[in-house]
Amino acid sequence: MSKIENLELLVVGGGPAGLSAALAAANYGIKVSLAEEREFLGGQLIKQTHRFFGSEKEYAGTRGIDILRKLIDEVNKNKNIEVLLSSRVLGIYEDNVVTILNDHKMKKYYPQSIIFATGASEKFLAFENNDLPGIFGAGAVQTLMNVYGVMPATNVLMIGSGNIGLIVSYQLLQAGVKVAAIVEAAPKIGGYSVHASKLRRLGVPILTSHTIKKAIGKEKVEGAVICELDNDWNEVKDTEQLIKCDAICLSVGLTPLVDLLKQRKVKTTYVSELGGYVPLRDENMETSIKNLFVAGDVSGIEEATAAMIEGQIAGLSVAKRIGKNNKKEIEKRIEEGKNELELLRSGPVGKKIRKGLSKLGLNHGKNYNENFSEEALDISHLMKTGVPSEENLKNKLPSEEKVFDKGPIAISECFQRFPCDPCVKSCPFNAISENGNINNIPYVDFEKCTGCGICVSKCPGLAMFVVHKNFSETTSVVIMPYEFLPRPHKGEIVKVFDREGKYLCDGKVIRILDGKFQDKTAAVSIEIPKRYYLQARNFKVEE
Amino acid sequence: MRIQNHPILSFNRGKQIKFYYNGKELIGYEGETIGAALYANGVFKFSESKKLHRPRGIFCAIGHCSSCLMTVDGVPNVRTCITPLKDGMKVESQNIGVEINE
Ligand code: SF4
Ligand code: SF4
Ligand code: FES
Repeated sequence: MSKIENLELLVVGGGPAGLSAALAAANYGIKVSLAEEREFLGGQLIKQTHRFFGSEKEYAGTRGIDILRKLIDEVNKNKNIEVLLSSRVLGIYEDNVVTILNDHKMKKYYPQSIIFATGASEKFLAFENNDLPGIFGAGAVQTLMNVYGVMPATNVLMIGSGNIGLIVSYQLLQAGVKVAAIVEAAPKIGGYSVHASKLRRLGVPILTSHTIKKAIGKEKVEGAVICELDNDWNEVKDTEQLIKCDAICLSVGLTPLVDLLKQRKVKTTYVSELGGYVPLRDENMETSIKNLFVAGDVSGIEEATAAMIEGQIAGLSVAKRIGKNNKKEIEKRIEEGKNELELLRSGPVGKKIRKGLSKLGLNHGKNYNENFSEEALDISHLMKTGVPSEENLKNKLPSEEKVFDKGPIAISECFQRFPCDPCVKSCPFNAISENGNINNIPYVDFEKCTGCGICVSKCPGLAMFVVHKNFSETTSVVIMPYEFLPRPHKGEIVKVFDREGKYLCDGKVIRILDGKFQDKTAAVSIEIPKRYYLQARNFKVEE
Repeated sequence: MRIQNHPILSFNRGKQIKFYYNGKELIGYEGETIGAALYANGVFKFSESKKLHRPRGIFCAIGHCSSCLMTVDGVPNVRTCITPLKDGMKVESQNIGVEINE
């Protein structure tokens, strides 16, 4: 019999939730062992090349990979954390003994408390030939291209328009892969509108009320047949079309990985809003079994920002229970975490989460206000197509045309209520306001805006532009965010596109801000014929 | 195909190494998985399903789905999507999947 090792806290899973949990507890003196089944830490964060939404406090505006670097750095520096890599938790038994497999050797641990941050797995979709090579989960595509630098295909059909589907589509384009289309069965886009608009500007069609019928190909994917759906999700006759592609990427949702929790007989219940079976838990992330906590996607599918805060709450809760000092301070920090979570979930996109949580019997805090959920603008057209309507735009432009005469001004093309504020925080002149709630739509105060262009690089949704209408007698200049290769040169002539990715005109690059401050989102000033100043929102550089 | 230039990421590839796919010599890099190396070499079909011999390749790339199982250095059912590539490795197709009604 091998001997059993005693632990103060075992954290299972080295993703954003697990890392945050380990740090939160270790910072209060708890001895933490962090078990990760891969040979490296990071979970899904390792693939997230985009900037995060959410609040500045929790790293919004920072790329996922950079957040990860910071977290890993802190973990490695922390003497209270022991990292167990390539360590797969195989079993957890009624006496709380945990078995971990490492390098073909099984070890037994007896932790005083456990935090499960095991994340989620991708859902699958039934259609003909769905087992062909070249059909991937969205995570697999990200792993191949963002972790290993391998092109998954040359032309991908994306199924699902949630945030993951939209983000991965954009990342495919950045890696030099074509995206044939994004197919969405629901009548509206699932993810944030800013992500969708970004893709439309690049010419990617988003087909709402469409679904995939079958994949074509013998040894691997050569194409796909898609069709339209009616309001009752039934196939519309004679709408089949063949899409040429060499890969199909499925992004149809995630489901919590609760297997280990079930093994330990933690009470779970089915909550569709949270992705499937989720553990019952309290506000401190403790499950039906004492000293057994959860954090991140395993407790319900949400964003990485929420996962990190949940991790902190779980870690702090453990510290509060077994730590000796600082109880007051820990309590205060737990409260802060809870408030932060409430704020993130308080807008209309948080509605689903709130509903799911209420099914778990979790109390909504003081920040939840269901009346707030009403959208400020009618964005039905935007959510169907990814392109804002005339009405939406009018709402964000200066009410008087003469404002454009004063010089360059910022235009925010962000029309949806969701938790995000880097634009507000980035403006040195306090010209952008969300009226106190992170879920509100940002508006530019044209009196205060100097047109400096700082916000253009800082918005994770690439939704900020600066327009200088009267640059010359006949031309205007638009400052646009740009995250592709090759980078343009000053003086170069580029092709300029509108919000639907349609060619408008040629433009001349007159300035490129692409330094450390821009962090790979260059702000490029393009001179265009004056009549296009309200339409030109993207450009492409010829290779 | 490998991504050479990327607007956000830079790939620090390890040492170049040789490995074998069904006897054919291929080049990969230390630090990547067998699955990634096969894909980079344009190999999409890893193995075949047991009964209908349908082609199988990567689906999840994180060790959860078993679609990428291959025989590696004589050991069957290795999840090639999470197994690091080693110099001289022999990677072979196999029949994968269990038949439930037999
Ligand atoms: S352009 Fe400059 S001043 Fe205007 S909103 Fe953006 S950051 Fe603020
Ligand atoms: S405009 Fe502001 S709120 Fe909208 S995506 Fe950009 S940073 Fe976030
Ligand atoms: S591709 Fe799913 S286990 Fe390897």
